[in-house]
Amino acid sequence: MTARDLAPVLLVLGALAALPFLGLSGSGLNFLVTTLIIALAGLGWNVLGGFGGQYSFGHAAFFGTGAYATAVLQLKFGWNAWGALAAGIGLGTLVGLAIGYLSFRAGLRGSYFALVTLAFAEVFRILANTADITGGAAGLLLKLQPGLATLQFADRRIFVLLVLAFVGLALVASRWLERSRFGAHLIAVRENEEAARALGVDALAVKLGAIALSAAITAAAGGLYVQYFLYLDAGVAYGTWISVEALLAPIVGGIGTAFGPLVGALALQGLGELTKHLAGGIPGVDLVVFGACLIAVIAFAPQGLLGLRRRKRAATAGA
Amino acid sequence: MTSIVSPSRRAVLRTGLAATSLVAMPAILRAQGAPVKLGIIQPVTGALANDGDLGKLGAEFAVQDINAAGGLKSLGGAKLEIVFADNRSSPEVAAQETERLNGEGVAGIVGGFASGLCATASQAASRYDLPYLIDVGVADQLTQRGLKNTFRFSPSFGMVTKDALQRLVALNDAAGKPARTVVIVHEDGLFGSGLAKLLQAELPKLGFEILETVSHPTPARDMANVVLRIRSLQPDLVIPSNYYGEFVLLARTMQQQRVRPKGIYAILGGGASSLRFVKEFPQAAEGVMDCNHWPDPKNPLTAELRKRTEAAGRAFAYNVPMNYSAVRLMAEAIEKAGAPDRLKIIEALSTQSFASGVMPYGQSKFVNGQNTSALPLNTQVQGGDVKVIAPPDFAEAKANYPYKA
Repeated sequence: MTARDLAPVLLVLGALAALPFLGLSGSGLNFLVTTLIIALAGLGWNVLGGFGGQYSFGHAAFFGTGAYATAVLQLKFGWNAWGALAAGIGLGTLVGLAIGYLSFRAGLRGSYFALVTLAFAEVFRILANTADITGGAAGLLLKLQPGLATLQFADRRIFVLLVLAFVGLALVASRWLERSRFGAHLIAVRENEEAARALGVDALAVKLGAIALSAAITAAAGGLYVQYFLYLDAGVAYGTWISVEALLAPIVGGIGTAFGPLVGALALQGLGELTKHLAGGIPGVDLVVFGACLIAVIAFAPQGLLGLRRRKRAATAGA
Repeated sequence: MTSIVSPSRRAVLRTGLAATSLVAMPAILRAQGAPVKLGIIQPVTGALANDGDLGKLGAEFAVQDINAAGGLKSLGGAKLEIVFADNRSSPEVAAQETERLNGEGVAGIVGGFASGLCATASQAASRYDLPYLIDVGVADQLTQRGLKNTFRFSPSFGMVTKDALQRLVALNDAAGKPARTVVIVHEDGLFGSGLAKLLQAELPKLGFEILETVSHPTPARDMANVVLRIRSLQPDLVIPSNYYGEFVLLARTMQQQRVRPKGIYAILGGGASSLRFVKEFPQAAEGVMDCNHWPDPKNPLTAELRKRTEAAGRAFAYNVPMNYSAVRLMAEAIEKAGAPDRLKIIEALSTQSFASGVMPYGQSKFVNGQNTSALPLNTQVQGGDVKVIAPPDFAEAKANYPYKA
């Protein structure tokens, strides 16, 4: 990777990092943190789904593992928050490797892989809902204790920067996939697995590498989620909502591109906030408007928002 | 030139009118006191929409009544104004909506409904010292986090279960101890699992034998197997703990298969004290007991609230009186604080005592955020209506136990 590859990443990060210091309200800061956490989960999904073509419907399994490990290690074992977050990312990676090994070894692809990941996430949700260590269905509450060691900040701008740092790392990893040999192998597997194997690509190893990286990034999102909201239950951690958010962001933003998930998350969450104000007093109208906009994006920009730009560029180049 | 500069007569009149009204407005506002904004947060979309809708209705009734009676007296008759937020049954939306309410300058927030939704919302509010009054989130930890802004109006899970067990023993003793064996049917979520664990520990100490604990997921589509199991075990008592849909399904299946234990005793039951259940399935509902949130039946306002709820096209449930009373309590706290000042309201809530609206709490007083006067009531469906059967101070009917049709 050259400096030219990293310049756009730095530019985007710089712009986002400046945002909280331009007098953003509490509502704005909260929006930014939530959106960046979802973007991070989406960046994780994009590694496996976008670059690797393995559509997962169960990234909640990684998100939840990261979140639960971060919370449980602090609450029940008295770990330092940073250590707990790191362990959460590690455990999420292991879960990714285990799910990946089981399903890729069995040769599951396409809808079958999607269904298996969905099933794994559901199993985790049910287990977390009944186990003692996860607080059962009552969930876990982290104590509000702002401080560097507890990874909670009275000034939320610092938390924005922290999440942004993780988003930055994930963006760099995505850029690396676009440029590196490993990334080329992964894309080859996505396009035609048999052909890639015929050319000497170890498809299983490549896919396992991708799911490990993907799970690590999404687990980080889970850990950050619990550090910010300080509350976790099985529905939040392993619920389908995060699996859907993690795949919607890249699909809307531009699947298989480094910036797609970030653009998608900003657009989707922004649209969600915007429709809330349009809805007036009738409950649920905002969700209807949101759904209609989503259908429009899929209908008119099947390559995502970044694909729209690419298509326009191709059109002007052709003319 | 002059035609451009000199305004027409009409324009002069119009601006003149606008100007006078602008000048006059603040005077009117001062005379009456600027309206005080109150945040109401409820899940009106998503899985808990039915509960949130009723909670919202209760809050609206309270604000109507307060404003009709002359507003907040110590604030020069200032009117209360609701700023409503939908937490969509999702914890992170609850936090985001709390941020929005803060941005809109509310003096306090009432509501939340489910524990997870209350947890994130009250924590977000604590950043701004924004008083947060929980309506029904029951998880004990909610008031054990050291948040100075968070208060719970209703009894906690621990308080409800303690009363529920005491009253169960009293009920059984008074009838000559007809029940000895119990089957627990619970959903595998927050209420169900926590309660089942507690019952497994406590019931044997109280002289009951637990034959079996059956768990089921939410949503569950079929209760036939659960009921067959109950039928074969022949327990004296069935203790269900589940949400509305599953509870109704269980009660109906039991009725269809003619499984009639000596009593069905729900604790924080989803459907047992909902008039929607009673109205839709009167035969299945008849005789079902519940230890739950419920308004004081002897307070004339309770019947009135029920009428107003039915006039609004809804079936009455505890959410309406609970939120009605919680909003009135918050209004009283603002009055006692003498200003819509958040810190003063928190100070008032933590040091003074308050009327409890239509809830049977007497004078509500908060210790470490928990209303120590809060009290659940025991109800039983009798003659197609929900009647309070315990404690004696509030009872309006005698318990039909062991159940005779």
